[in-house]
Amino acid sequence: MTTRGRVEHYQCSVTRPADFDAFWDQILAELDGIPLDPELTPVPLRSTDEVEVFEIHYTSLDDVRIAGWYCRPHERHIAGPYPGLSIVPGYVSEPTLPKSWAKMGYAAVGVAPRGKLRSNSQFNPGYPGLLINRIIDRNTYSYRGFYADAVRAIDFLLSREEVDSSRIGVHGSSQGGALTIVSAALRPDIVTCGAAGAPYLTGYMDCAELTHSYPYEEMNEYFRLYPERQEQARDTLNYFDCLNLASRVRAPMLLYAGLNDDVCPPETAFALRDALPGEVTLHTYERCGHDAGNYWEMRNVEAFLAEHLCPATTNEHAQTTVG
Amino acid sequence: MTEHHERVPQAGTTDAGDTVTTIDAPTGADPKFTSTRPGDLNAWWDGIDEDLAARPANPEYEVAPLQSNEHATVYRPRMTSIDNYVIAAWFSVPHGDGPFPALFTTPGYASVVTPAHYDLRQRYVTMTVMTRGQRGADKPYAAAFPGHLTNGITDPEEWVFRGVMADILRAWEVLRDHAAVDTRRIGITGTDAGLLLNARRPGAKAVQVTSTFWYRLGELASETEAYPYEEISDWVRTYPDDRDAVGRSLGYVDPQFQAGKVTAAVHLNRDRESRFLDDAWLAPLVKDIGSELAYYDVTHEGQTDHDANDAWMSDQLGVDPAPRSWQPEEIGPWR
Repeated sequence: MTTRGRVEHYQCSVTRPADFDAFWDQILAELDGIPLDPELTPVPLRSTDEVEVFEIHYTSLDDVRIAGWYCRPHERHIAGPYPGLSIVPGYVSEPTLPKSWAKMGYAAVGVAPRGKLRSNSQFNPGYPGLLINRIIDRNTYSYRGFYADAVRAIDFLLSREEVDSSRIGVHGSSQGGALTIVSAALRPDIVTCGAAGAPYLTGYMDCAELTHSYPYEEMNEYFRLYPERQEQARDTLNYFDCLNLASRVRAPMLLYAGLNDDVCPPETAFALRDALPGEVTLHTYERCGHDAGNYWEMRNVEAFLAEHLCPATTNEHAQTTVG
Repeated sequence: MTEHHERVPQAGTTDAGDTVTTIDAPTGADPKFTSTRPGDLNAWWDGIDEDLAARPANPEYEVAPLQSNEHATVYRPRMTSIDNYVIAAWFSVPHGDGPFPALFTTPGYASVVTPAHYDLRQRYVTMTVMTRGQRGADKPYAAAFPGHLTNGITDPEEWVFRGVMADILRAWEVLRDHAAVDTRRIGITGTDAGLLLNARRPGAKAVQVTSTFWYRLGELASETEAYPYEEISDWVRTYPDDRDAVGRSLGYVDPQFQAGKVTAAVHLNRDRESRFLDDAWLAPLVKDIGSELAYYDVTHEGQTDHDANDAWMSDQLGVDPAPRSWQPEEIGPWR
């Protein structure tokens, strides 16, 4: 076993571009000018007496249609209004149906940002590939639209009359952890709280140096082939780094991380904790990797979300969130 | 870190590409399925073998420059499987003089298949296969998640997993026959599909089951609301008359009915705190395994579990282990 430095004191190399806020304000203004045009299609196959399941679509940046699953309690099971919850997906996983959350009383959306199955007819960089797709240009980098798609999931929840707009949470792990930060940062007046496991897209360039695990290994592979593009990529990534987005977050956040995470190095979870200006809690788990201790932490996540979002019941338990 | 609740195994993959170990399950539900050996089990698998024998794989190797590095060359081979379906794989060969030990990773129930990890590619010839429907092998059939598991499930001859099982066998054959592979040192890791593979294609030295998926799947589906198991329950709830047919199809791919044919050393991850992975649950699976059998009791500390599994396989195949854990000098307090 090797020894690594003090993870808590690691200094990330991320810098904040002078026009960082202007960059995102422009994207948000563009997004706000695009009609959401939500569509809900009931899915009887997946629905139960307790939970109604819908396949949803909405329009996001660049007029890309985004798919997702929407699960809400059946009125006979739990009467509305419901707190809204966006469950955001990991990098390689497809969004799960958040039925278990709906059973607890949340109106829950599981979004498939562009490139995921059912949202890839207009944009499909492939996996591996998403992380480095147009990494040298902030205006066409894959995560520009991808982040917007997650933000639009919040807008979708707001469009639902059965959702209490004063109780909107976000939760995910790995890329889902990053999208939790992104959603809270770009809809700071709306998002009530967020629970982010093993946050990815945080200290991108540092992570690529700290690990050889995918997805960050995509960057190492890319820079091995195109070393001359490294600084251009760094400039792009500064606009998308959760360490920079964190300053826009106002909601209370729960973070959790494995102290032996080779996928999303824990150094960046500590850096994210320190970058978040509001109420933040970080739970760390020794000897855990990218699982981020979810075997124990899911109970904390459920309790944290329940504390801030007040669902109808806490007697049920959610399907464990994986990245 | 002692609080936990009842868990069932899950055969998805994390961003790390490792098999996820557990998901939540409610307790107390009555099983709706019993796992039963289909009477024509051997004929079903023999039919797959006949279809494969009629179609040569004709693997076509294309170098993947982006993924190749100073330690290994990575390829994206394409090959023919049954139904003339073209599947694909990530395949890597270490630099240097071979032949090398090889590691075959069984596909998880997920859309994306990534190349083997950097530290595996240094030590083994590696193959991760993209079976029909998964990205990289999604033309003409792009699998839906959820939905893939039950596609055609009421007819075992039309069920998409007849093809998927064939794809796994086909990819194995391609790996085994590659000149860079030391055929005395091939390992299989991942889900319990590895047991099915070894039962049908002897030759691997070691099979590691980091997570069960196909074993008693119908029974498990009756006891959890977590996806992908819930796909089975969704189907049976909607089409209750299909229950027997669904159970029959699942029987063809339940490794307990082929365990007696396993010849490789077996490494089985066990969770004595979960009734879905404890000794009682695993008893029908292990009772017929006649080869060397070792257990690993999972800790749920992801990196601890990874390193233990890596160490076992490394020992079996005669390579150095590559633990991913490290010792922090100091951990800050919670805030």
